Amino acid sequence: MTSDRIRKFFVLFFVCGFFLYLFGPLIIMGLTAFNSSAFPRVAPWECFTVEWFDVLSNDTRLLTGLRNSFLIGFGVVLFAVPLGLAGALMLTQVRERVRPWYYTIVISPILVPGVVLGISTLLFWDRIGVMFGASRDSLFYNGFFLTIIGQSTFIAAYTMLVFISRLQRFDSAQEEAALDLGATHVQTFRKILLPFLKPAIASAAVLAFLASFENYNTTVFTAISTSTLTTVLASKVRYGIDPSISALAVSIVVLTVLGAAIHEVFKRREEAEARQAGLVAAGVMERKSTQKQWFLEPALIMILLVFIAGLGTAFFAGTMGVEECKVAVREQKRIETQKRIEELQQRQQAERAAQQAAEEARRVERSQRTGTENFNSIFSSDNLQPQAGDTAPATPQSERAGTENFNSIFDTQNLQQQSGQQEEAPARTGTENFNSIFDTQNLQQQSGQSEGQSGGQSGQ
Amino acid sequence: MSTYWKDYFRRNGMALGLFVLLAVMVWMLVMIILPQLYMLDFSFRTNVPPPQWGTDTHTYTLEHYRYLLYGNVNATESFNYLDLGVFGRTIIAAVFVTFIDLCLCYPVAYYLAHVAKGGWGRLMVMSLIVPFWVNELLRAFAFKVMFGTGGVINDALMWLGILDQPYDFIRENVALYSGLSYAYILLMIFPIYNAVESLDRNQIEAARDMGAPWWRIHWRVVIPHAKPGITSGSTMVFMLTAGALAAPQILGGPSSLWFTQLVYKWFNNSANWARGSAYALVLLVACIVFVLLMMRIFKVKLGEIAR
Amino acid sequence: MSADVKLEDVWIRFGSFEAAKDVNIHIQEGEFFSFLGPSGCGKTTLLRAVSGFLEPSEGKVLIGGQDMAGIGPNKRPTALIFQNLALFPLMKVWENIAFPLEVRGVGKAERRKRADELLELIALPDQGDKMVNELSGGQKQRVAIARALAAEPDVLLLDEPLSALDLKLRQHMRTELRAIQQRVGITFIYITHDQGEALTMSDHVAVMSQGVIEQVADGNTIYDSPQTAFVASFVGENNHFQGKVTAADGDMVTVETPSGVLRGRNIERDGKPQLAAGDQALVFIRPESLRFVDGEKKRDNVLEATVERQEFEGNFWQVFLQVKDCPRVVSLSMVNDGSSVGHDVGAQVKIGCDAAHAVALPVGQMAAE
Repeated sequence: MTSDRIRKFFVLFFVCGFFLYLFGPLIIMGLTAFNSSAFPRVAPWECFTVEWFDVLSNDTRLLTGLRNSFLIGFGVVLFAVPLGLAGALMLTQVRERVRPWYYTIVISPILVPGVVLGISTLLFWDRIGVMFGASRDSLFYNGFFLTIIGQSTFIAAYTMLVFISRLQRFDSAQEEAALDLGATHVQTFRKILLPFLKPAIASAAVLAFLASFENYNTTVFTAISTSTLTTVLASKVRYGIDPSISALAVSIVVLTVLGAAIHEVFKRREEAEARQAGLVAAGVMERKSTQKQWFLEPALIMILLVFIAGLGTAFFAGTMGVEECKVAVREQKRIETQKRIEELQQRQQAERAAQQAAEEARRVERSQRTGTENFNSIFSSDNLQPQAGDTAPATPQSERAGTENFNSIFDTQNLQQQSGQQEEAPARTGTENFNSIFDTQNLQQQSGQSEGQSGGQSGQ
Repeated sequence: MSTYWKDYFRRNGMALGLFVLLAVMVWMLVMIILPQLYMLDFSFRTNVPPPQWGTDTHTYTLEHYRYLLYGNVNATESFNYLDLGVFGRTIIAAVFVTFIDLCLCYPVAYYLAHVAKGGWGRLMVMSLIVPFWVNELLRAFAFKVMFGTGGVINDALMWLGILDQPYDFIRENVALYSGLSYAYILLMIFPIYNAVESLDRNQIEAARDMGAPWWRIHWRVVIPHAKPGITSGSTMVFMLTAGALAAPQILGGPSSLWFTQLVYKWFNNSANWARGSAYALVLLVACIVFVLLMMRIFKVKLGEIAR
Repeated sequence: MSADVKLEDVWIRFGSFEAAKDVNIHIQEGEFFSFLGPSGCGKTTLLRAVSGFLEPSEGKVLIGGQDMAGIGPNKRPTALIFQNLALFPLMKVWENIAFPLEVRGVGKAERRKRADELLELIALPDQGDKMVNELSGGQKQRVAIARALAAEPDVLLLDEPLSALDLKLRQHMRTELRAIQQRVGITFIYITHDQGEALTMSDHVAVMSQGVIEQVADGNTIYDSPQTAFVASFVGENNHFQGKVTAADGDMVTVETPSGVLRGRNIERDGKPQLAAGDQALVFIRPESLRFVDGEKKRDNVLEATVERQEFEGNFWQVFLQVKDCPRVVSLSMVNDGSSVGHDVGAQVKIGCDAAHAVALPVGQMAAE
């Protein structure tokens, strides 16, 4: 049976690995939100800080996007939930022969790439607008309207699936009974079907809102000039990253986990009650309180953990003295950097001497340039531009760029731009010239400027 | 037909019946069918500025599809290797990502459904939802943080002494593929989990009783039972991966493009909407072909895929 | 208030399938009327046509003399009790009962008062604030009746409402239903496939098969004088022998079967005897009408048989016999009055009955065994 044991161990290992894969990136991203390092990273850990949440709350573009996403989300809920409900009700009524066709059509938006939906919505409403001779600022060219329509196209299919699974458990005799007892169709709908569908409506609305809130592929085409959370995020992430994005992610995760956990607890309780009611009716057991077990629910444990973690965070943030720590780190880095730069200068001189001997002709040709060009040509420093401008730390750009250049040569885990190097300014001007020569525009755009301030190491 | 509608309104009443009918019509026609048809039409027309749309200069042409195949009219190469290459790579990578996800998810789904029981099992299943509701962009961002040259992975590898120099995962597309696998993995695990969970435990016990080794139990009992879930998960993951835009934009290396990025480029950078539509349609057709293929190979219905 | 229900030349078709064929029935006001038939015979369809959930393809439904064409279920003076009761699980018991009043806009206090009265009527006082799921099967049953009565219908329609209950409860509810019907005095139309229910409760029973009304009569008549082979074979146990009519005299016929010559009553239909000499006929003899012939008493019909097996049921013996030249096993039941003795398996015996207890009918469709 040892092979069995080995297998079990292997499976457990695999499952643990899977969950690590699932949560590892999120946890690391979460941690980066609390590191004072200007680039989102865990190691080296500098100072515990909540300043990125402040940065986040002051980012007006993001906040506007957030507000727009909320508005669009509510619009989608109002639009997609009734559509999905109608779609599900229709499904129960269409003829047997037509049903597969109908189902294929209404379910297809789920399988159509979001990009395609966005484009077709944009084109179609543009055409309608032209047909009605509508002006450019009318509904047909409104980012809100188009996004709500475009997203609802497939979100309605999601909500429809929610309603279908709920309706499958609906006893249509109840509707007939209500009609038979004298209710009108509207009364029947309001008093019988709607109360039955209430949980489904709630979860469909949540689903619709979240799906809308996090949608990017469709929105990027339909939003036109309206900025939503996702479009702002996308441009932020593509053109430079900083830990305030991590802070946003942490906020979203915490809210989601809380929401999901609360929802789960309520669902469990409701289910338990329904089950017990059934048993009581069957005379199997006495009715007793359901309170007994539910505070042992894993979901609740999770809520508590999150809550405690939040409290702990606030506590540490209050006591640790972020500023003192930052000053200390900066000082230490300044010393380290200085040491390295001295080393560098020595090496540069040595190399320059060697070069002068070897390449006499070339030296003459480009006499006014410094030897740093070698490094640039070897290590393609494709993204040394100070791209994180809007949320960059307080350090002046001139200081930062200077060290960046050296980052490209050395392993500069600890070499931060904050280190305040005044004396290297001449070297910087020299290299920036080369940046503009060697960095092709294309390369910069497509690589998404991924490596940020320490990214100079990416050269191969 | 008229008896059907008479019956329909008798069942639903006038107000409700009209609402349902109208809503479904709007959804089906105005939101699903007509926009797609219009995009189809549009992709076959010349690229003229918007004011001329629908006028005589807006004529039919195969130019955009020709471009995808052969490239610029005065191109030197016989085919548009660049765009076709991107298309091919997108499809192949999407299949690859789907396969990876399937291999990762099946054992875990089985474990969650039949091995892990009780509160912790439930908690594990529930916790799967958390990463799902974190924005797609943020998930890609997390990977960028991890795989960056100063990221955790490089740090760990160098600390372990496997690398002596940071490795550019982004440029090598490692980050992209793991990010894409990650992005839609939950759409793989939930259908499989649901399918495997519905399998009667006794069937497994019975097979074990008869002396079947564990791999045969899976091959003959569990996998056939989970087939609809596997098909559903694979289709969804493929579709979403092939149609992904955020992850390639964020995690893609400088030299590799995703097909959706080409579509995006035609729309946003090159302002050639007609060509963008044509490219989008090619993507759509590829996806439809894939779904039909899956339905044919695994003999499942569409209703079992989209659940 | 009570009303009569009339079905005139009613046909109901679903595509090419005919669920009801030329149905003509007049249900008197205030009576307890049952439709009896196997599942799928179209009885529920007829009920739905009366309650207004579907329109007959042809013919008329009249309630209280008024043509119901085009009038929806919520406007008809009927109330239906569904097979699964269709109580509203999200409402309390009293809210369920008061629902018909609620949709009419009756005030809450008044609704509550009326619901309590009805709870009293169905012997469930003080249960109004429970949820439906907390009630037992029999209690739910009674709540469903109370809810239907709250609508103050002229006609109450019941679609196999007892089928989900266990045997004891079912028998109890039969008596209770009958009692409620007599108390409220309105017309009850009851659908069932259980002949026991139909025969015990009803003033009149309509036996249905494949969309056709086979016979409408009171319970006794249905049992003793079935008009068709289907009714004879569906209602109660019956043995049958096929043969040819050799003589028809008055209300009796003589039928020559392979097992022997049998005499039986020639049952009339629509006022006319159905059999004439030369017709193929089925002779039905109920197990309890058959007796062992021991030579003392002369019987009109005598058959030779071999005992195949016998079962003791407590209050009676069930004997299964192989009758000469009859392809089917014939059953005979004897009341266990202490004097009856079992026969050995394999014993050669004679069995018989009087002609008055045998029924001769034209060959026709039989109920599935």
